[in-house]
Amino acid sequence: MPPGLDSLKHIVVLMMENRSFDHMLGALKAQNPLIDGLTGNESNLDTTGATIKVQPLAEFQSQLDPDPDHHFPAVDLQIFNGDNSNPRVASMQGFVKSYFNQQHDVPHSAKILYYFPPEKLPVLSTLATEFAVFNGWFASIPGPTVCNRAFAHYGTSFGQVSMNIFYVLEPYKSIYERMISASPAHTAKIYYYDQASSTIEVVNLLQHQPQLFATYDQFLADCKAGTLPDYSFVEPNYSDHDGDNGEELASDQHPDHNVQAGEIFIASVYNAIKENPALWASTALLIVYDEHGGIYDHVPPPACMPDGFVAQPNDTGTGRAFAFDRLGVRVPAILVSPWVPRGTVVSGRTFEHASIPATVTKFFIGDYDQRSPREKNADTFLDLLSLPTMRTDGPEFQTD
Amino acid sequence: MAVIKVPKPAQGSFNKNRPVSALLRNQILHMHEVERMFPPSRHSGIYINEIKTEGEAAAYIQKVTARLHPEGAKPVRFDIAAAGEARAKSRSKPKKKKS
Repeated sequence: MPPGLDSLKHIVVLMMENRSFDHMLGALKAQNPLIDGLTGNESNLDTTGATIKVQPLAEFQSQLDPDPDHHFPAVDLQIFNGDNSNPRVASMQGFVKSYFNQQHDVPHSAKILYYFPPEKLPVLSTLATEFAVFNGWFASIPGPTVCNRAFAHYGTSFGQVSMNIFYVLEPYKSIYERMISASPAHTAKIYYYDQASSTIEVVNLLQHQPQLFATYDQFLADCKAGTLPDYSFVEPNYSDHDGDNGEELASDQHPDHNVQAGEIFIASVYNAIKENPALWASTALLIVYDEHGGIYDHVPPPACMPDGFVAQPNDTGTGRAFAFDRLGVRVPAILVSPWVPRGTVVSGRTFEHASIPATVTKFFIGDYDQRSPREKNADTFLDLLSLPTMRTDGPEFQTD
Repeated sequence: MAVIKVPKPAQGSFNKNRPVSALLRNQILHMHEVERMFPPSRHSGIYINEIKTEGEAAAYIQKVTARLHPEGAKPVRFDIAAAGEARAKSRSKPKKKKS
């Protein structure tokens, strides 16, 4: 076993909100051609037929307002551009059209193709270039938040493609339930930011198993004390609200929330782990986004193993059934560990959110059969901790 | 490696009066689904259809979460015994684990 895996005791997943790979990291291709980002020539046609190219003009806030549509029918349009032939071609040519549909504002619709230059995102860009960035991590479903986050928790969305409350069906257990009921038992927690932000995973977990939850302040304390669980899932702050210490700025990066606040939050999670040397040596941190939020990416989502469920045409809103046989749009994903070679670009492999419970289960529990077809087929990522000796050169972020 | 200073958001970024997004609207609905299972004496008293802003959403979500997970309001736990155990474990040879 590689020394990095031998030392590994903790897996931490930080799931952010609603940004595509190209939007956040696409510009890194200019620094490293191995990164499957943007050349600058990618484009969509707008509704007047004009060619609109991607541009490095993304702003931290007040640009993607209204929130770009990312429900199933809109994402279908973004990917297939209204193609109803059989088989359909995933052209990624419908993003501008989709955004236009919300306001009928042609100049504004072009902003869905804007992306960040690396210097505007020093945390995410640095972590992507210093550790491992995934060229092929896709949302699990071409749809919105709740069903995509379900794949991270359960390895399936139980047939849901929407934001509706879903109900857990046997035999699939959440990764947290698997961990605490394993023999020997493992520890797992979902850390939500604070009570006013709470968790997106309300009905199916918090209602029944509040012991699995803690706040972000507790995460920081657990990192400092070296008492982090074996598996931790961290949720950012989902709203601007008043807190005990004054104004709490949303840090999830969901449009139209401030992207810099999310940068600070990502840095804070990274710093909390790195500042405890024993924890840093024994932890793998995955930073990933739940879905693309309606924002442009140039890589067509690939077909995938069907999930054993079928969403009916009334549920998808497209007039077509969906067999969970195609992934959603590509999202940023970065694996951070001192055992990951600097500048790793993970290419030629496909990951999705079911890769999270698949990886955690494989490492901590081992053989476990009661999993969805998608999870059983999902690639895992701990092989990236491949260095023979631990690195001592990780970046330091100052957030004060 | 040099320390990287992470810029702060501009003054005025905070806006608790921002209209709720579809994500927050659904989180409210999920919370409401849970709240309906509480006895009436434990209801928040907030009519969710009147929630229009992020600040209002956060106030409602806080109330329901506090009932579901009161531990979230307590001071941060620093478990001295667990910390000592973790330090002891980190000094011992790491266990082999499946990869």
